[in-house]
Amino acid sequence: MPKNTLKICIGTPCHLMGASELLESIAELDQSLRDKIDLKTSHCIDDCCEQAPVVEFNGKIYQDLNPEKLYKIIRNNIR
Amino acid sequence: MSRNTISEVIKLKRRLYIELLRLVKTGKLVEEISNLSQKMITKESPRYRCCEFKERAIFDQRIKAVMGFNIASNKDKSLEELAESLPRQEKKRNIVEVIDTACDSCPIDKYIVTDACRNCVAHKCVNACPVNAIVIIQNKAYIDQDKCVECGKCAGACSYNAILENQRPCSRACELDAISSDSNRQAKIDREKCVSCGSCITACPFGAITETGDLIQVALELFSEKNSLAAMLAPSFVGQFGYQQSPAKIKYALKKLGFEEVREVAAGAEITAAAESKELKEKIMEEKTLLSSCCPAFKRMVLNEFESLSCLISNTDSPMAVTAKKIKNENNKLKTIFIGPCTAKKEEALQNENVDYVITFEELLALFTAHNINLAAIEKGEKLEDAGVLGRQFAYAGGLQKSLQELVTDNYNSKQIDGLGRLKKELYLIKAKKNNYNFLEGMACVGGCIGGPSAMISEKAAKKLVQNFADSN
Repeated sequence: MPKNTLKICIGTPCHLMGASELLESIAELDQSLRDKIDLKTSHCIDDCCEQAPVVEFNGKIYQDLNPEKLYKIIRNNIR
Repeated sequence: MSRNTISEVIKLKRRLYIELLRLVKTGKLVEEISNLSQKMITKESPRYRCCEFKERAIFDQRIKAVMGFNIASNKDKSLEELAESLPRQEKKRNIVEVIDTACDSCPIDKYIVTDACRNCVAHKCVNACPVNAIVIIQNKAYIDQDKCVECGKCAGACSYNAILENQRPCSRACELDAISSDSNRQAKIDREKCVSCGSCITACPFGAITETGDLIQVALELFSEKNSLAAMLAPSFVGQFGYQQSPAKIKYALKKLGFEEVREVAAGAEITAAAESKELKEKIMEEKTLLSSCCPAFKRMVLNEFESLSCLISNTDSPMAVTAKKIKNENNKLKTIFIGPCTAKKEEALQNENVDYVITFEELLALFTAHNINLAAIEKGEKLEDAGVLGRQFAYAGGLQKSLQELVTDNYNSKQIDGLGRLKKELYLIKAKKNNYNFLEGMACVGGCIGGPSAMISEKAAKKLVQNFADSN
């Protein structure tokens, strides 16, 4: 069972600001890293649409992301 | 045109869409528009130019373009004045425009010597130069730009890779050499050559090239509720509005937004394919070549640069034109709005009386956002089944060719090419009569419409989704 949970918001404001890029970047992760993550989608995380795109990784919320920032967050916080 | 990652330039533009639309919605557009740049660009917000005042000046120009006004010809008009004059009566305008205050006047010298030059003994660069443009000044090679013929031999010869090929991103992206520079060394668009493909808009890292749009006009019509609007979804729309957002849901959401009718342009594409197949049969008999006409940027390039081939372009109306005509015939009170990934369609619509407005996928997503419609939270849907596979596969490169192969069973050869640069080369071959086929499908964007400048997802993902949708009916 993967020990980490990544929730990516796919709501319209997040999609407009690049949520699909985040999803694509997860598909391109190293398999060894990818296997440790349980990927979920959400239609809104914490109502912070002004700071889209938003994800939740292991319970913590991160805003205004791009694939590079997300990758760093995963690398630094993976269990 | 491959999709760029979403940069700060793109984010800022999309945030601007949302803010402007919120003003339209609350009826405060005229009142608040002059304060918008001050509200959105503060001392603390990230800055790319000398000061926030310049950022705001650029932003104000951008607002004009979003409202559908040409920047250069409305330089002296205030935002308030322009907002008050909406809706615009005149349709004619330039689609792609340079924001001169934002253009950084990137260097135009094609080859420059960098600090990596070691002033070596061999001086391979000096020897390689066929026009003696390289001299050694202060222990460093120097290129006399008046003599340089931009052949690149020096760059290839240098053992230290010290000579750099340097081209402006906008002109590199333009396959048709439509971008030159004016007396201030700022980018200038040659209207005789530009086909409004949108490549330069995506390429400029300063966001200095922009498109004029219909978004605010459409919003005014939507919110005024006086007019009835029909949305025409380009065949490439599938998957563009978010992860796992079905076509049925999008139709439902568009109706919720206030559109009275929602139609698939793929239905028009089926009619286009049928008409084009008739033309193709004639061309096969005459042993001639037919050029596809559905991509407006490709068509415009043929008209601009290959006049002698213009008689080969199919006379069939584009799927957008056919769909709009059909809607107007059914109910001429409806205003038609094409929704696609394309800037060249904006240009095509200016010349078509049946198409009232064109907006892009990102512009529609901004409309949803400003209206607080979150597609992911909607659970209802309304079936969208206007068209079958022959029309729906127009969305990707090779789709039209496939549809015609189904419709025309005669023995003939056809070819499919995407990308303006490659198409241009092919047209030279056709001009020299060195082609051995009866049909050429030309798509300006690499990958076809799903690779358009305003596409929201990758070509690969989009193609799969379009194919699934096409096969479902």
